[in-house]
Amino acid sequence: MRKLFTLFSLLVIASLALAACGGADTAAPSTGGEEATQAPSTGGDGAATSGFTSKDPTTFVAVSFGEPDLLDPALDYETAGGEVLQNVYETLVTYKGNYLSEFEPLLAESWELSDDGTVYTFKLHQGVKFHDGADLTASDVAYSFVRGMLQGGGSSPQFLIIEPFWGVGTSDISEMVEVAQVFGLEALEDGVSTEEMDELPYELYDNVEAMKEVDSEILVGVCEALYSRFEVDDAAGTISMKLALPWAPFISTIAGYWSAAMDQDWVAANGGWDGSCETWQDFYAMQPENDPIYDIANGTGPFILDHWTPGEEIVLVRNEDYWREPAKLERVVLQNVGEWSTRFAMMQAGDADWVAVPPENRSQMDALVGETCNWDAALVDYVCEVTDETKPFRLTLGRSGNTRSDIFFNFNVANPDGSNTYLGSGKLDGNGIPTDFFKDIHVRKAFNYCFDWDTYIADIFNGEAIQSKSLAIEDMPGYNDDDPTYSFDLAKCEEEFKLADLDKDGIPAGEDPEGDIWTTGFRLSGTYNQGNTTRQTLVEMLSLNVNTVNDKFIIESVGLPWPAFLRSINAKLAPLFFVGWHEDIHDPHNWYVPYLVTFYANRQSIDPEIKAQFVPLVNAGVLESDPAARNEIYKELNQLVYDNAPGIIGVLSTSHGFMPRYVKGIQYNQNYSNFYYYPMYKE
Amino acid sequence: MVNYIIRRLLLVPLLLFGVTILIFGMLQFLTPVERSALYVREIPKNERQIEGIILKYGLDKPLYVQYWRWLVGTTDQVTGERNGGILFGDFGWSRTGGQPVATLIKNRFPNTLDLTLWAVGPVILVGIWLGVQAAVHHNGFADQAGRIFSIVGTSFPTFVFGLLMLMIFYANLQWFPPGRLSTEASIVVNSESFKTYTSLLTIDSLLNGRFDIFIDTLRHMILPILTLSYISWATFLRVTRSSMLETLRQDYVTTARAKGLPERDVIYKHARPNAMISVITLAGFTVVGLMGGVVITETVFDYPGIGKAAAEAAGQLDVVTVLGFALFNGLILIVANVVVDILYAFVDPRVRLS
Repeated sequence: MRKLFTLFSLLVIASLALAACGGADTAAPSTGGEEATQAPSTGGDGAATSGFTSKDPTTFVAVSFGEPDLLDPALDYETAGGEVLQNVYETLVTYKGNYLSEFEPLLAESWELSDDGTVYTFKLHQGVKFHDGADLTASDVAYSFVRGMLQGGGSSPQFLIIEPFWGVGTSDISEMVEVAQVFGLEALEDGVSTEEMDELPYELYDNVEAMKEVDSEILVGVCEALYSRFEVDDAAGTISMKLALPWAPFISTIAGYWSAAMDQDWVAANGGWDGSCETWQDFYAMQPENDPIYDIANGTGPFILDHWTPGEEIVLVRNEDYWREPAKLERVVLQNVGEWSTRFAMMQAGDADWVAVPPENRSQMDALVGETCNWDAALVDYVCEVTDETKPFRLTLGRSGNTRSDIFFNFNVANPDGSNTYLGSGKLDGNGIPTDFFKDIHVRKAFNYCFDWDTYIADIFNGEAIQSKSLAIEDMPGYNDDDPTYSFDLAKCEEEFKLADLDKDGIPAGEDPEGDIWTTGFRLSGTYNQGNTTRQTLVEMLSLNVNTVNDKFIIESVGLPWPAFLRSINAKLAPLFFVGWHEDIHDPHNWYVPYLVTFYANRQSIDPEIKAQFVPLVNAGVLESDPAARNEIYKELNQLVYDNAPGIIGVLSTSHGFMPRYVKGIQYNQNYSNFYYYPMYKE
Repeated sequence: MVNYIIRRLLLVPLLLFGVTILIFGMLQFLTPVERSALYVREIPKNERQIEGIILKYGLDKPLYVQYWRWLVGTTDQVTGERNGGILFGDFGWSRTGGQPVATLIKNRFPNTLDLTLWAVGPVILVGIWLGVQAAVHHNGFADQAGRIFSIVGTSFPTFVFGLLMLMIFYANLQWFPPGRLSTEASIVVNSESFKTYTSLLTIDSLLNGRFDIFIDTLRHMILPILTLSYISWATFLRVTRSSMLETLRQDYVTTARAKGLPERDVIYKHARPNAMISVITLAGFTVVGLMGGVVITETVFDYPGIGKAAAEAAGQLDVVTVLGFALFNGLILIVANVVVDILYAFVDPRVRLS
């Protein structure tokens, strides 16, 4: 007995001693104490190796959290699945290195655009094979596009492809079916106006059962109309695509994994759609549970899906018969580990080559950085400098991101039976706001002037963010350093509040003897989803600043559980809400449309007169292919957005990434879902 | 005795019905829109998506209709195929697990069971042995050490102990990795040459003649077992000790000693079996706890058992998966209760007579 307890005591003491000795620093074996003197290099490729080596140089292990929804490239719409799909499947074109707006051929050898800007013709590489050995044909490419658009539905990214093929504002094949029902099949060829689109009942959207009951002649007609947009010559290896309109971001749109080439025979053999126009409705708006290929894959890419064990890992192995030079890595393992400490331990043990680091744990990793790389916009690459030869990690800093949280004003808040508590009393009596509170331009401008971007960047992003100049983000048409932007100015905030006229008596609030917002004050709720500290801080900062201007101005910060938060926005109950947008493609159209015309604009109930000013410019922007001319259009739009201030445009965080220094060949392209492993290798 | 067992077994379906009503009833406190939001991960880019979900899942139907749908599913009017229905083993699709909930449980439960089978020995037997030793050596060194150990054990949070183990034995010494298998072993296990017999990896690896996989699996289970044992021993020690002390004070134990029986026989043959009644309850619930998945341990060691999957589902409000797990856990709990009740009847005749 005594022996047992002695043993146990020794074990505990030894454990505690080891734990005390262990720590972040133990992960970095010393290789000498000399300071590094290397000249700066780009992209980290020229950096010296450190003593921190990989257990297996042929396998790359990336450890993160999250699980793919499914591995069907046409239907998956999230980054965990996207990472697998972009390495297993291939598209006609792809991103050129680190560039977000420059592209190069991939499955296509070359492409041409017709003079009128509506017909793209791609010449395919010869000898490309799918992982099962079948040849890639132009027919497979056409089938993949048609399949995607016909099967899309609301949960997929296919709305991105639908729009160039069917026209501005379209988003799903169900709309084309309704066009055919309402205006006849000919309308699919002739096109329909925006006004005519407004007449559609929109009852088929995501309604799988109703779609199956549509007249078969209509269904076949829609499918054939879609096929007719593609002209295929398998012998010559060419495919032409006829768009509805000249579409500036078309190449950028089809560079995403959602346009990947699939093998028609393989899909059909595995229970998927066989390409027949008689049956497509049975596959419309499929969810993972009824998609027969949700967990299998057969692409042409540099890696083959070996297995996916949900909740554990996805293993990709090198495609030895790849049509280009096979990848340098033999294997890529994507592990799903939710707990940060476990991920960190895996990194320490050399079992992980990359782990997802939450912002709050960055300091733990910062201590292990021996090489710092800063983004150089001119070079479109990171410029690196070794700071400590003994430390194992490379830190990449300074590239602005493509996700932003913004603040949205609701111009006409819903208040069914006077029950909306987010409006307080529902009147301008100091205890609430009227439903049209944000219709007043001066109120919207005042809120903008009361927002302190610098403090927000310092407190939430630790200084690693930049204020957005406009709705567009860096490195795309519509982003200009001289775009008009609001800045924090409490005096102007006060001035604007005094100019407001909430009681609509024609007298500015600051001079109104009968009282207005300046004398009565207001109380409203700013909603965010519980647990999102960034959005919570946004509300609290705004609340503090408006209260500083006038202590009768009260914004209550209301954290809501996710379902209630979603409902507050969708039911247009929230007068002021805080949400984010992650771009699908690096193009201004992907920002301006949701903010000014559709997604958020509808939830904000933006005044039709204001929207009517935005829409022509949004449409003109997407149809203009010359970047300089596009920029001019969006510049005009930016001025309109500034003048009307439908919301407060937030900040873009800048990169703060970690990678072991032995990892080379990384393409730093944010439009990839995490990493494109083909060029990567380990030293 | 047979009547007693039958009575207990007849209660099982009733209890299960109660569990389903309870679980389903709790969800109805939310409106259809709020419940539909549970199926959405981000703000839907298309406004009609929410309406589509309400329609698809029939979330606007009366409560009894929804409950009935949940129980027996719905039939596709065109194809005649049945969708859903927990009575047919269709618990729905797990958004967080990326597969049907039933498949998720089928895939994850063997991992948890494998861990339970290997943990149950160290957890219960060693825990009881420690308690008996503490009682037998009342106020001696073993007893004092045991007391300190149990106080430390009960006050040391599992995740702290688990992380400590991980840092020492994995990050520093690299002896026992987290997860279930190394990548090399995982590729073998997922290959066609590896046959699945029981879904329990330790057993299947031996049946496939892959001792290397067996060792690899055990290496991954050592730390979870150690953590589970450590936190359970403290409880077992205290319960067994006090129960043994009480039993050792009974007259029949004094009589046994007076008769001159060897002390070993007095303790192990006379006192210990009688002290086990309260320990059986604890053991029963410990096994249920292990089989239901040990959330923190599985999460810290990234062990893909049922507890980790349930925690992920709960964290992301994956209501379908949470319901499936709750039902499955309820089933385990009910069955384990019946087993414990039956065990009681064997150990203590008074139970079956009453």
